[in-house]
Amino acid sequence: MTRRSWPTLLLLVLCLAPRGLEAQAPACGAPAELLEPGVPLPAVARAAAAGRLRVLVVGSASVLGPGTSGPEAAWPARLEAMLAARRPGIQIEFVVRGRRAATAQDSAALLKEELAKQPYDLVLWQTGTVEAARGLEVEEMVETLHAGLEQVHAAGGDAVLVDPQFSRFLRTNSNVDAYREAIRLVAAAHAVPLFRRYEVMRHWADAEEVDLERAPREARVAMADKLNDCLAKALVVLLRKAVAEARAAPAPR
Amino acid sequence: MRSLVRGLEGPAAPPGSGRDLRVDLFRGLALFCIFIDHVPGNWLGLLTLRNIALCDATEAFVLLAGYAAGLAYGAELDRRGYSFAAASLVRRIGTLYVAHIFLFVVFTAQVGFSAAALDTTAYLDELHLDVFAEQPYLALLQALLLRFQPAFLDILPLYIVLLLLLVPMLPLLRAPPLLLGLSAGLYLAVRLADVNLPSWTGGGWFFNPLAWQFLFFFGCALGYVPRRPDGRRGRRLTLPFHPALASGAALILLLGGLASLISQAEAEAMALLPEHVAEVLSAVDKTGLHPLRLLSILALTYLVAHLVPVGAAWVRSAPLLPFVLMGQHGLPVFCTGIFLSFLGRLALELSDRWPMQLGVNLAGILVLTAVGVIGAWYRLRGSGGRPVPAPESVALPTRAASLTNSGP
Repeated sequence: MTRRSWPTLLLLVLCLAPRGLEAQAPACGAPAELLEPGVPLPAVARAAAAGRLRVLVVGSASVLGPGTSGPEAAWPARLEAMLAARRPGIQIEFVVRGRRAATAQDSAALLKEELAKQPYDLVLWQTGTVEAARGLEVEEMVETLHAGLEQVHAAGGDAVLVDPQFSRFLRTNSNVDAYREAIRLVAAAHAVPLFRRYEVMRHWADAEEVDLERAPREARVAMADKLNDCLAKALVVLLRKAVAEARAAPAPR
Repeated sequence: MRSLVRGLEGPAAPPGSGRDLRVDLFRGLALFCIFIDHVPGNWLGLLTLRNIALCDATEAFVLLAGYAAGLAYGAELDRRGYSFAAASLVRRIGTLYVAHIFLFVVFTAQVGFSAAALDTTAYLDELHLDVFAEQPYLALLQALLLRFQPAFLDILPLYIVLLLLLVPMLPLLRAPPLLLGLSAGLYLAVRLADVNLPSWTGGGWFFNPLAWQFLFFFGCALGYVPRRPDGRRGRRLTLPFHPALASGAALILLLGGLASLISQAEAEAMALLPEHVAEVLSAVDKTGLHPLRLLSILALTYLVAHLVPVGAAWVRSAPLLPFVLMGQHGLPVFCTGIFLSFLGRLALELSDRWPMQLGVNLAGILVLTAVGVIGAWYRLRGSGGRPVPAPESVALPTRAASLTNSGP
């Protein structure tokens, strides 16, 4: 090897290494089985083919990216940027509606309000955290979700449910499992993919990949940014698979 | 340890005359499972009843608590009259209330500790978990009124209200059809009208006592031993073995098991679940003791009661004796279990890998066994060190309201 080829090689390694890593772990190392949608998203596939995708995100504070460096670091904003970068030909519109301590009922009201304005191809509904933290009735959340998902489908759109975030504090001090299980059953009842954020985040925490609770104070903002970025990446994987499934088997709804 | 177990003191108690150790065993197992299920993140939690059935340890606990109450207070009622039995019941309720408030204080301290340890303010901004910090005086008042029940502190308030409901119903122990009819009527009315006791944080109680009372009174009716006019003990209410009933019960459990296994599976297996079945399952609420949950626990009880003979040798085997002892000292074991679960949660918050998992569960079983042993030792010493009581009183606790005996 000549002396001259060294810089070339170095350049090559620098260019390839991150891409190689990314191919290995498209969602910060989240296990692929956690990102299986299980059901297709036909409306999203149709919208992507038509060149215009309208996405509505509803939920509580975490859709606004609390603790991050700014609104553009929250996971819905990161997801929008990633989708736009992946598919520059598609016109992507994102509407994010959420507020602190919003219950499923509050989110359902926001959903109704937005659906009255215009139809959406995809609704990302993040729910369960506030219910679990406050120990609200599981059945009330279930009924609200049933009604809301029916509205989304009636308006011709697809939905993806997003369950609570993992936190040791939440696990220790609330009965979060009861709410997670109910959300899973609601998703199955409406043939809607569930983004298992709790399991994915628990995996990241166990693997010491992203662990907001154990991050030192000065690193916390950077960690929150990374968490939101990783969540968006994981959602991209799930959405991509669900769209691929819809294309492979265009099921009439 | 054998000599400490009630109903095992005599060398060979004739079957049917002594204490039903199966009840103690399953009560002990339910108590241990409640400890496990109250430590979120505990790996043993994947092996408890809730994973393979539509019901869980809570249902077992409430049914067997009813059984123990029917046995103990029914005997008091027959021997010393209503006023005495009602008074000891009220005394027991007082003990439970004080225990609950003590556990509430421990819980508050634990939340404070883990909030400080994890420094979670930014992360849990959206959570109103810290109601205690926001409105401490009001929170304390609401806790005293049982209207503020933090997660995992919801079983004792349920139990307190169930025993309160038993006070006026005590005489009806002698008329099981009337008792069960009234109770079933209330259960149905509450489910149809969607009535629940109010909770301060919104909605109703996590366990609605007005619905759960049916399972409790069902247990009471099973536990009560009628006294015949000649003073001898009559026969308990039993549902005889019938192949059709047994296969029906087995089918219910099988379907329930299948449903709960599928609903925990990965997304692809979950997609196999028909949508309307998933919708039905999503409506199976624990709060109002959904009929499917009720049916599951009754089917399980029926099968266990008939498949495990009263004098089964394995029930008396050494490895299970700790659980029998736990079951015979229900209240202190229950309270200690809840207390330990707080410590267990803190421990698993620090690390949830296998050394800590092993440590938490071993400590749990050792301490709970120790509580059972101490309770039994105290009872033996209290009764003058007589290891063999008079045969007539073997199954009938002498002081039903004392903390250390076999009361609920």
